[in-house]
Amino acid sequence: MTSPPDRLPEQVPVATQPRKGASLALLIFAMVMTLAAFAEVGLARDGRIPTGLFGYGGGLVVLAGAAYYVQARFAPYADPLLLPLATALNGLGLAMIYRLDLSTSRDVQDAIRDGKKVVTSGLASAGTQLQWTFVGILLFAVTVLLLKDSKILQRYMYTLGACAIILLLLPIVPGLGAEINGARVWIFIGPFSVQPGEFAKLLLVVFFAGYLVKKRQAMSLVGKKIGPLSLPRARDLGPIMVIWLFGLGILFVQKDLGTALLYFGLFVSMLYIATQRISWVLIGVGMLALGVLVATQLPFLGHVNQRLSIWQNPEPYFDGGCLLPDGKVVSVAPGTEPYIQAGNTIGSGLTACLKMGGDYADSAQLMKGMFALGEGGVLGKGLGQGEPWRTPLAFSDFIFDSMGEELGLTGLMAILLIYALIVQRGMKTAIAARDPFLKLFAGGVSFVLALQVFVIVGGVTRLIPLTGLTTPFLAQGGSSLMANWILIGVLVRMSHQARQPAPQSIQDEGMTQVVSLR
Amino acid sequence: MNLNMDKPLRRVTIFALLLIFALMVQVNYIQGSQAEKLQTHKLNNRQFLDVFKRPRGKILAGGEVLVYSKQQPNSENYARYYKDGEIFAPVTGFFNGGASGIERAYHSLLDGRDKRITNQRWFDQFIGKPAIGADVETTIIPNAQRRAYRALAQANPNLRGAVVVMDVRTGAIVVMASYPSFDPNEVAPQTGEKGAKRLVELEGKPNDKGEVNERNKRLKPLVNNVLEDTFFPGSSFKSVIAAAALDNGLNKNSTVPAPSTYTLPGTNTQLPNSHEGGACGGAGQAPLILTFAESCNTTYGILGAEQLGIDKVLETTKKFHYDQRIEVEPDLRTVPSKFPEMNQAETALASIGQGNNTATPLHMCLVAAAAANDGRIMKPYLVQRVRAADQSVIEEADPQELSRAMSPGQAEQLADMMREVTRTGTARNVPQLAGKTGTADFDGVEYNNRWFVGFAPADKPRYAFAVITQGIGSGGEAAAPIAASVMREVLKK
Repeated sequence: MTSPPDRLPEQVPVATQPRKGASLALLIFAMVMTLAAFAEVGLARDGRIPTGLFGYGGGLVVLAGAAYYVQARFAPYADPLLLPLATALNGLGLAMIYRLDLSTSRDVQDAIRDGKKVVTSGLASAGTQLQWTFVGILLFAVTVLLLKDSKILQRYMYTLGACAIILLLLPIVPGLGAEINGARVWIFIGPFSVQPGEFAKLLLVVFFAGYLVKKRQAMSLVGKKIGPLSLPRARDLGPIMVIWLFGLGILFVQKDLGTALLYFGLFVSMLYIATQRISWVLIGVGMLALGVLVATQLPFLGHVNQRLSIWQNPEPYFDGGCLLPDGKVVSVAPGTEPYIQAGNTIGSGLTACLKMGGDYADSAQLMKGMFALGEGGVLGKGLGQGEPWRTPLAFSDFIFDSMGEELGLTGLMAILLIYALIVQRGMKTAIAARDPFLKLFAGGVSFVLALQVFVIVGGVTRLIPLTGLTTPFLAQGGSSLMANWILIGVLVRMSHQARQPAPQSIQDEGMTQVVSLR
Repeated sequence: MNLNMDKPLRRVTIFALLLIFALMVQVNYIQGSQAEKLQTHKLNNRQFLDVFKRPRGKILAGGEVLVYSKQQPNSENYARYYKDGEIFAPVTGFFNGGASGIERAYHSLLDGRDKRITNQRWFDQFIGKPAIGADVETTIIPNAQRRAYRALAQANPNLRGAVVVMDVRTGAIVVMASYPSFDPNEVAPQTGEKGAKRLVELEGKPNDKGEVNERNKRLKPLVNNVLEDTFFPGSSFKSVIAAAALDNGLNKNSTVPAPSTYTLPGTNTQLPNSHEGGACGGAGQAPLILTFAESCNTTYGILGAEQLGIDKVLETTKKFHYDQRIEVEPDLRTVPSKFPEMNQAETALASIGQGNNTATPLHMCLVAAAAANDGRIMKPYLVQRVRAADQSVIEEADPQELSRAMSPGQAEQLADMMREVTRTGTARNVPQLAGKTGTADFDGVEYNNRWFVGFAPADKPRYAFAVITQGIGSGGEAAAPIAASVMREVLKK
């Protein structure tokens, strides 16, 4: 085996013992928690143990059991926490979606009666989510099985990078993509709707990792030194410019600030890991700030300003508000006094706002989400006993607030701790890995998970402006679930590689084994 | 150059975990310390959704239960009953999910969701026992309120009126009657759809068939006339001009002009006195106190428009909080009275309580209260105390001074002038009171706003009042006897 040039000589295997028992115990705990959550939903909402307990809960138990078998059999040295943590989040999300499934139906009927357009793919459906969980865990198993050596990915980095770009561009293709809730991130294939961005995210990490491993020597060593910063050469700046323009492109065309932020943050962090150059981070953050500043100045990108304005003070936007060109916010909610301009009554809602030349937005969803959090308080209403369905999209974008209402601050802290643990285990895998590509890859996927949680959860708790991203493992949606299970699969496989005893005694599977005769 | 990635990886790990830590801090802030604020946020309609399923606290006055909740038979919802609903509606308000009056101002306490109750009962809440609302004890004297309402109804059943009586030393409102009124029982939760329709009818808005109740549209029974609407104050406003004069070098015996007519500056319009003879007669001038007692229009027109001028008059109206929304209880405020900046002729008209000058009865009551209380205006309030279900006191009224509108000397002189009104002036029929009459008669309508604003007892002031009724006749003839009758009942206590 050839050593990478910069491999640490003092590198020692992190663990030599398989931790299958610990993993199984934790997995059983995660399953018990999920089954208890289902039982509580049934008891609180319908007064009996739900008939779906064996269908949904049992289904998850079988799936997680199968996943555990694959992990124990093919990646025995894997980090014992990753699978149970992901299962716990997936199970909690499934229980919450099951809890919301019936409640939302009344709202839907109301909406249909009121003649509103109902997007059928946007409704809570525990059955569909269970199917996607099945597919997700299957993909986890396939990843663990097939990705024998994650380094293989490095070989296909340009192909995968190109795939990522194509996936990202798909929603813009007319006839294939469509704008939902203000963001153009979906494509429709027959009855299925897919968010290709979720997969592109993973492929981009592969590409970044491969590219940076190749270029990092030049990027980190060559350059002018100005004060404490050493600036890179112009030609090394090229790729970052491309990614920057690309991020802005997403921002402009797909109107998706969250995704742009996600890719950019991902790239900058990986650049930093690869080169250790803080100047790259400063350049990256500076350019992002510049991009957002430009976006706020452009008239046709009013929604960026508006997001900021809603974040600062959502109240005037409740049930419809209008950001006028002079920066003033006028409520155009139905029932408020119609805004009178030049003596003409111009009504309320979007029409009124357009006549005033402003940007229309509605903060009711964000505020209702906050009200749900307020309702939950420290201990929560209890699963099945709150009214999280009062927030639109309570099962997807706002599932974190739904959890907050029923599980309270206590439950949310537990959920955030689970995310923190997954990120920490992922980063630990990165540090334990021996190969620079794998280090960068594991570090990248772990960071992207943390950043995604930050952007969406920060958005629905009003820590930062709200942008649309999925809440990993919790929110309803197949693409996100599949991509995140693949991510966990990759981490499991890499942690196995990193933690297994150095391959002096056992050759890689599939090769001739040297058997000690002593 | 060491290109080992472990150091940056550790740093990125710390940064990633800091991101999640920031989320934890935010969630703690929102759910730990902002929960109560979010639950009672004005846009949060969740707080009104289950309100029918909880018993609300009682509203009491002088030991009498005015409003109480009772579970409806065969239902988990509670009904709400109002004793003498029409009489006490301006105080209690209505409740049907939405609310007005004390039902609105004290909603979270009556409903039991207030922090002061839930903190006390945190363990009950923890084990899922429902909240129990607190009882609200008002400062109203029930029999005086009844008398005031009946007097208003008798005065003119097809026009509007109001009576407000306030304890000048504390600010406690003991009577707050408004006519026409409505019966909150008709729109209480148990009335369901019918109640909701009745509410639309009371608001004078078109119902689902497009019909409008014209009487309700004109007389506004849901509006509390004491706080929520303004009327031309007529000559009762002369007390404010008199206070401005006292503050600008005059005293009650100063000689002031009192011609029989006054040509409004810059116009040919003649402003006459309401009667000839006495102080307002041909002599051309008279002591201030007598022009007040006999209510000479010319004197106060000249004082306001020329001798004092708009700036000094505005300064005085501000001292009486004329332009402000006075808060009686949380979310229960007056509308502002109006005395805008204007030219001399308009100022002359406004100085005798006509033209652009409109006032709420409570604002006028505060003018009398200042005269009766050494120039001090106490903050008016309506709720004496709030008791939790276990009878512990959660909130007790704490009388506060709103402002000093006059010096004690000026207040005493204004009080003397008000006493002169009932001794020799326009209200000799009510010698036990002191006050200023007002008769605002305006173009296009055949009735007057008849006012009597003052205090009682005349010699040892304890309560200030403002009475307005509409109809033919003068304030002295029509409003003063109502004031006397109500004050007799108030002072019985």
